[in-house]
Amino acid sequence: MSTSETRFQVDHRPRPAGLAIRTENLSRVFQVRRSRKWPRGRRVVALDGVNLEVAEGELFGLLGPNGAGKTTLIKILSTLLLPTSGRAFVSGIDVARDPFGVKQRINIVSGGESGGYGILSVRESLWMFSQLYGVSNRIALDRIDRMLKLVGLEDDAGTLISKLSTGMRQKMNFVRGFLSDPDVLFLDEPTLGLDVTTARTLRKFVREWMAERPGRTVLLTTHYMAEADELCDRVAIIDRGRILACDTPASLKRQIARQAVLRLEVSSSDGAGLSQADLARLKDQPGVREVAARWRPEAGRTVLTAILEADGAIPGLVGGLSGLGLVVHSLAKEEPTLEDVFVKLVGRTLAEDTPTNNGDHDSRNGTLPGDGPEVGVGGAGDGEAAAGGGAADESAAR
Amino acid sequence: MTTSEAALEGKRRTAVGEGVRIFKMAAWLGWQAESNWTDPWLFVIYSVIKPVAGTLILVLMFAVAGRGSAPELFWASYVGNAFYIYVGQLLWGISWVVLGDREHFQTLKYMYIVSPSMGWYLVGRAAAKFFVATIAVLIVLGFGAWALGIPVTVRGVDWALFWPVFLLGIVSTAALGILLAGVSLISSNHGAMAAESLSGALYLLAGVVFPVDVLPGWLQPVSLALPHTYWMEAVRRAVLGHGISPMLQQVSEGQILLILALTTAGMVLAGGGFYRWAETLARRRGLIDQVTWN
Amino acid sequence: MKAPPGSPARAWWDWKYVRWLLELNLRAVRARAYVRVVATGREIMWLLWEVLLPFMATAAYVFIYRALNAPPAYLGFVILGGAMTAFWMNVLWAMASQFYWERYSGQLELFFASPASLMAILLGMSAGGMFMTSVRAIGVLVLGSMVFRVEYAVAHPWLLAYTFLVTLWALYGLGMLLASVFLLYGREAWHTSNLLQEPVYLVSGFYFPVRALGFWVAAGATVIPLTLGLDAMRQLAFGGSPWAIAPDAVGLFPPGYEATALTGMAVLFIGAAYKALGRMMWAAKVAGTLALKH
Repeated sequence: MSTSETRFQVDHRPRPAGLAIRTENLSRVFQVRRSRKWPRGRRVVALDGVNLEVAEGELFGLLGPNGAGKTTLIKILSTLLLPTSGRAFVSGIDVARDPFGVKQRINIVSGGESGGYGILSVRESLWMFSQLYGVSNRIALDRIDRMLKLVGLEDDAGTLISKLSTGMRQKMNFVRGFLSDPDVLFLDEPTLGLDVTTARTLRKFVREWMAERPGRTVLLTTHYMAEADELCDRVAIIDRGRILACDTPASLKRQIARQAVLRLEVSSSDGAGLSQADLARLKDQPGVREVAARWRPEAGRTVLTAILEADGAIPGLVGGLSGLGLVVHSLAKEEPTLEDVFVKLVGRTLAEDTPTNNGDHDSRNGTLPGDGPEVGVGGAGDGEAAAGGGAADESAAR
Repeated sequence: MTTSEAALEGKRRTAVGEGVRIFKMAAWLGWQAESNWTDPWLFVIYSVIKPVAGTLILVLMFAVAGRGSAPELFWASYVGNAFYIYVGQLLWGISWVVLGDREHFQTLKYMYIVSPSMGWYLVGRAAAKFFVATIAVLIVLGFGAWALGIPVTVRGVDWALFWPVFLLGIVSTAALGILLAGVSLISSNHGAMAAESLSGALYLLAGVVFPVDVLPGWLQPVSLALPHTYWMEAVRRAVLGHGISPMLQQVSEGQILLILALTTAGMVLAGGGFYRWAETLARRRGLIDQVTWN
Repeated sequence: MKAPPGSPARAWWDWKYVRWLLELNLRAVRARAYVRVVATGREIMWLLWEVLLPFMATAAYVFIYRALNAPPAYLGFVILGGAMTAFWMNVLWAMASQFYWERYSGQLELFFASPASLMAILLGMSAGGMFMTSVRAIGVLVLGSMVFRVEYAVAHPWLLAYTFLVTLWALYGLGMLLASVFLLYGREAWHTSNLLQEPVYLVSGFYFPVRALGFWVAAGATVIPLTLGLDAMRQLAFGGSPWAIAPDAVGLFPPGYEATALTGMAVLFIGAAYKALGRMMWAAKVAGTLALKH
């Protein structure tokens, strides 16, 4: 694929070699309008001094719950939003000072995106967007046909967008992001709401696209841990606007490799879940580093994730549970996942912050759209701002 | 009454109750969206500026070309024009609900699901428009009486004729709006054009501001088949004491009322029937949640 | 956040860069125009809404003049006005309030993130709208002229054609300006479009010579390009000469001056739209209000 047609290289300013994305102390604060609850309005910190470096050719994951600031970061990097302070560079170009230079090199796909004029066919709509990037007709139509085939939409190329199902529309929008052959591609929750097969197809597509031309960079935001684990070269864990850790998935998991990760299913005789006070008591047990809970209403049980300093702390934890009047139905020691890293860093699970549509997505077990019977069909998109953990805290442990 | 009949009656009653609930909700929604009087800006736009400007166009046309004409012609045109505000508002109000909710807010499908009949919802949304139009008509008539010497007084109105005529006119317009909503349901988004175009065509065919006698002979039967032609004529007679058309002068008030009732019934059947057909077609082709705006 | 809007100076002297930039934006113009042309033409119903019914609405005004025994030229005035109504409707509903819907559907963010200028998107919307609306306008003009046997006396066809084109550019320039100003507005843009409909029909003299409003009111209304455009076209279509006001005090200014002023307005409005767009885009990026849904 030709890369020269969608950008014009006139920028001679020095750029840090090999860095596709760089942020320096990047912050963004939103002013929320006055309301009854907040008569003076309020400031919401969406990003709080984010420092990030993504190398060219890297598939970089940004992992965090809703409201963590993932979308805000992507919006700043894709020139849609200005930072309150700090700087951000894409391909060495300052996003605030030279948005045009950045736009020539990027594209963006948001999960759940439903844009497009219903009266156009899939092919026409994609062609229209390719024209906004200056791609010649011949190349654009070639790419459209090839990519539609790759995502299994070739038979629907002539179908009007108004007749497409949600999944098909999302696939089409996914293809749109690749048409300009960007140097840096932002994928914001791209598999959100997709079925197993489609999600798998799209992940495969991303890997193949990356392999096709070295130097292509993808910044992927997701709250599917396994998606990040499977796809990304490196992952940053972000929560409430701050980067808490950044490394390869393997290295992140090694941080807690010497610790024991326990998965327990418990229930109480009165059928209620655990309270915050119960969780605090469990954390006070000797050798217990972190405990997070997720209520499973359909089973009437609570799934606990506990990170222990060593196996020796297990009897103490079980004793603590008995002390709370809880019955332990299952206990398993597991290999650490990115979710466990998140629990260790944040003190709660991703699922606690991420409402799902059908409640059966279990990112802790490593399942994700396209990986197994427990299909994550996603929840609401990433919020505009980190709105604090009030609501999440209330539902964290029942 | 057998048990099954009683159950059926109960269901029917529930459906009516549900319909009234949807009507109320839709009227409130329409009020909030487009007609809220508590927002003075909206009130001024929809109840004062737009109708008065539309009326002044007619006044200016008479001013530049009607110097030698009888004042009765101007008065009759003015009153017809004032009451025609209902047609513009209701047609727009009902048909735009389908387009706006389907294309922009993408909520039509939800309304379709919760409503026992979309008619309740459509008419409910139009209710807000009706109130806005009423205020506009009163302002325009008041302005005409005060500034232009149109002989409209509360005492001078033949109320016994006015109320049934007014009611039938509103019903026939709402029925036409429902028909237009059916058209909108099965066609692409033509935006403001559909309601605007249809109300413009009716402006011609119903002889709102001129006697239908001046229409070409081949067009007059079309005009005489429309309830709005009789509505306009009867409203003028009730408000001013005279009509505008020499041809319709031969028809008595009772006869006009009867024809208006019959044509209104025809319009209700046509509007309702067409809408049902369009709804079935939309369901068959999956058009209820299509998005076609451009 | 203090940096001024716009990107740093580039190699404007570099022809290759300029050519690339031009090509990029022309492609964007064509692509956005394509949506409108294809969308409108894809359904045969548009002929009904966009040509036949608007023609009937225009005919209603012709019959008023007929009922008043107005001079024959007035029929032509109305038909010209009726044809141009389509453009004003298009500017209000498909330009001024368009970005609100683009924003609502998340499309605006996609446009914004692309290297093509939003001005190119606006130009594309204008070009597509202009083309399709021309079909309606020409339809009304041709049908009206044939049905009512209007006799034109065009002495300066090139000036007439130029006036028509420059009127459209000034008008759509205004539409682009309104779209830019309303970029961050929500329902307010919608209501403002409503506000500008009938009042502009009135002050721009769509259905009567604008001079009838009195010189100063008419002169004030020339801020709407259609006022001057219609006035000039009416004079030129009925025997007027470029540098003198048409007889019977029908014209406001000599059409040659009006065409010149329209040229200036076209440049001014498009320039102002460019400036306004830059400022509003900057404001949207600061406030984070480019998207409504996401």
